[in-house]
Amino acid sequence: MYAAVHARPDGQSTVARMAQTASRYGYDGIVVRNHGDCAATFDAEEIADEYDVAVVEGIEVRASDPSRASGLVGNHRSSKTIVAVHGDSVAINRFAVEQPAVDVLAHPTRGDGDVNHVLAKAAADHGVRLEFSLHDVLHETGGTRVRRIQSLRKLRELVEHYDVPYVVSGDPHSHLQLRAPRDLIALGETIGFSPDQIETGLREWAELTERNRRRQSDAFVEPGVWLDDE
Amino acid sequence: MKHLPKHLQPRWRYLGVEIESWPDADFGRRALQRELWYAAQNLVGDAGSADLDLTVLRFAFEDGLGSALVRTRRGRTDSARAVIASLSTVDDDPVGVRVRGTSGTVRACEEKYIRRASEPSEQRQVAFDGDERTAVVRDGRVDVATDDGFSGATDLDLQ
Repeated sequence: MYAAVHARPDGQSTVARMAQTASRYGYDGIVVRNHGDCAATFDAEEIADEYDVAVVEGIEVRASDPSRASGLVGNHRSSKTIVAVHGDSVAINRFAVEQPAVDVLAHPTRGDGDVNHVLAKAAADHGVRLEFSLHDVLHETGGTRVRRIQSLRKLRELVEHYDVPYVVSGDPHSHLQLRAPRDLIALGETIGFSPDQIETGLREWAELTERNRRRQSDAFVEPGVWLDDE
Repeated sequence: MKHLPKHLQPRWRYLGVEIESWPDADFGRRALQRELWYAAQNLVGDAGSADLDLTVLRFAFEDGLGSALVRTRRGRTDSARAVIASLSTVDDDPVGVRVRGTSGTVRACEEKYIRRASEPSEQRQVAFDGDERTAVVRDGRVDVATDDGFSGATDLDLQ
């Protein structure tokens, strides 16, 4: 299971500290998904060796309009293993779910964003993972949290109905906001997820990583076609 | 009042919880207990909170690292985990919490899941992000005092 995290300067802790904490908490790896304008510099291999967790370079593309987002996705697709889009408006959400080059549409219901049956179907068709972000369930209170839980429920119902691929994260911005997989599963259960759903969502980051690394390797020609050594 | 016969006494489970915060955090058992009650009320409501009956039995916390032993009713450990996970701050200090495990007795829980303070923390000047800064160092964890609060780092980040 992987944790998708924001590291310094996007968050408060360095990639190394995130990796150290994630390793202690029982994660197999972390995905560094800093926003494009707050990129972190780090040596993934050194950190992975030191703390015995996989360290995956990702990006969360944040743009105000779809055309800029499209350019940024294109720019980062070949250099980053995981490309997510920061979903906070309907226009951006619609753009992201129709782009097979996008791996994850992050927190699609935050801000002015919303998801309906059309977007859910498009996401399923193009293999774009929708993210269930538990960040606000963990760190918000009162009315804001109630609305977040409501939108998570709506998203869950759509995801279940259209069989949309999805990921789950606690979306931590510091090592203090990180929560262990088992604790996230327990939290998910209290807001209506099945333990299996949360676990699958946390594993999905690892599977995405593996798929994309395979695609980025030299042996890859196109989906289903690759060069064999023998 | 005379205590209940044994088969009517509540069955408890004890959760060993690891707590982490910034080095300047300073809160005690009562503050944690209060936050736990609030968190339970916010997440599972009054009825759920009464059912969970979360009580902090042991508490140790110093220089941003500590542990607590939390009691809950048997069969409710998953909800208790969820409530503990949803603790975001204690006395306005952000906290990282993790349930290390659950046991049927206080003693087993303490022995298995409550770690004694390892090495004491040490304050020193470090080079971080191209600047000389004050940091609290312990066990490979480095909390650096920066212009806008603390930053979490490790010994790998120090040039």
